[in-house]
Amino acid sequence: MTPPRAADLARALAGVVDPEVGLDIVTLGLVYHLDVDADGAATVRLTMTTPACPLSRVIQRQVGAALQGVPGLSRGTVELVWEPAWSPAMVDPAVRAATCADRPPGRAAALGARLWRRLRGPASDAR
Amino acid sequence: MRADDAGDARGLPPPAAVLLAAGAASLVAGVWGGLARAGVAGGVPVGTWPGAHGPLMVCGVLGTVIAVERAVALGRAWGWAVPALAAASALALVAGAPPPWPAALATAAAVGLVAMHVVWWRRAPSAFLSVMALGAGAWAGGNALWLAGGAFPDVVPWWMAFLVLTIAGERLELGRVLGGGGDRAMLAAAALVALALAVASADRDAGVRVLGAAFLALAAWMVRYDVARRTVRQRGLARYVAVCLLGGQTWLAVGGTLMVAAGGVVDGPLYDALVHAVLVGFVFSMVFGHAPIIGPAVLDVPVAYHPALYAPLALLHGALALRVAGDVGGAPSLRAWGSVGNAVALALFASVLAGATLLDRRRGVAGR
Repeated sequence: MTPPRAADLARALAGVVDPEVGLDIVTLGLVYHLDVDADGAATVRLTMTTPACPLSRVIQRQVGAALQGVPGLSRGTVELVWEPAWSPAMVDPAVRAATCADRPPGRAAALGARLWRRLRGPASDAR
Repeated sequence: MRADDAGDARGLPPPAAVLLAAGAASLVAGVWGGLARAGVAGGVPVGTWPGAHGPLMVCGVLGTVIAVERAVALGRAWGWAVPALAAASALALVAGAPPPWPAALATAAAVGLVAMHVVWWRRAPSAFLSVMALGAGAWAGGNALWLAGGAFPDVVPWWMAFLVLTIAGERLELGRVLGGGGDRAMLAAAALVALALAVASADRDAGVRVLGAAFLALAAWMVRYDVARRTVRQRGLARYVAVCLLGGQTWLAVGGTLMVAAGGVVDGPLYDALVHAVLVGFVFSMVFGHAPIIGPAVLDVPVAYHPALYAPLALLHGALALRVAGDVGGAPSLRAWGSVGNAVALALFASVLAGATLLDRRRGVAGR
């Protein structure tokens, strides 16, 4: 049997969801490295969004289970790494765009900003 | 996805189960003591528990559970000393050990919790970590004050700061992952909490009012930045967690308002109302949202969600509303009924969560 490709692994790992965030680990950019050698041995290197996260064991276990479901794999190694530190920029850009990071400020915030500018206006003139 | 444990390292971290059991025992003693204090223990002998209600709930239950979660994340042997010390503090309280012991053990636990945050900070510094570290520091400060013989009404603001900042930091982290933002606003509110504690050391009345204002600022942060507003439109567990947060932030605002208004009260109905609005309404609502994800994770079983979890959540909020209405409106029987309702909500929550976990396991389904 020919060993699976890295893309097959990625598809399997996309089924592993961080229960706290509700997004899968591939979309979150937690998978740093994926490869399969000629003998069908897979290596997965992943990180967590923070070292203070207690879910790493659960997620590692789920990754192991997902790898077992990939046909043609002889062995799987899952490594947890902290270098480089994860950052929000690693989230799939399409998902990032859909989140509220770039949403316009709410009405209350806009009102506050307008008030702030008005209050600050005369003071900066005086200087 | 199928949970296939075959050939997997099944090793459950044994301390987690034992320590969570100690936390649960502490919860029973703490709630029993609380009911006795509300005059509804039914004549069952409760020893020193009524006087120990606060430290049992904050250090014995929440301190132990939070420290277990952190010890799992830290993954080092010494991390387990932190929840063990917190649980030992609760055992000392239940057993009626002489005064310095429970406070000394709790202080040691809190210092350990601060040390954990130092380890993480050196690995990857971030705004949310500094907010949580400030929370751990507030726990250490409060416990040290308790050790030095401070009265509980003086210690409680520190304990409130511990729990509120720990939760706020968690929400900031979740927001960071989901693109919520608001780092600087959160840091400013956390700084106001620190200022409030400093002020309270000199002038309790003024300090509690400033702390109330800081809690209002944090509640406003949640309204403006928390991802719950968005995740409440999802389904299942994500929506349930968001509902817990939205209910909790309302109580944080109520508690903050009562603190600004009442200031330095040290006993009586208003004190009961402001303490429990924050510690039951906000903190336990967030515990209800957090436990279905983290509880199974630290015990190495799949996440357990069942829509029946809404029942204890509704009871928690409804009973607290009754209790606070009784406090503010001068109706002690409402307060007593509310206390009973809160205790039932906790027991119901534990039962539903355990039932959902067992059901999930039988079906062999991982995830939600």
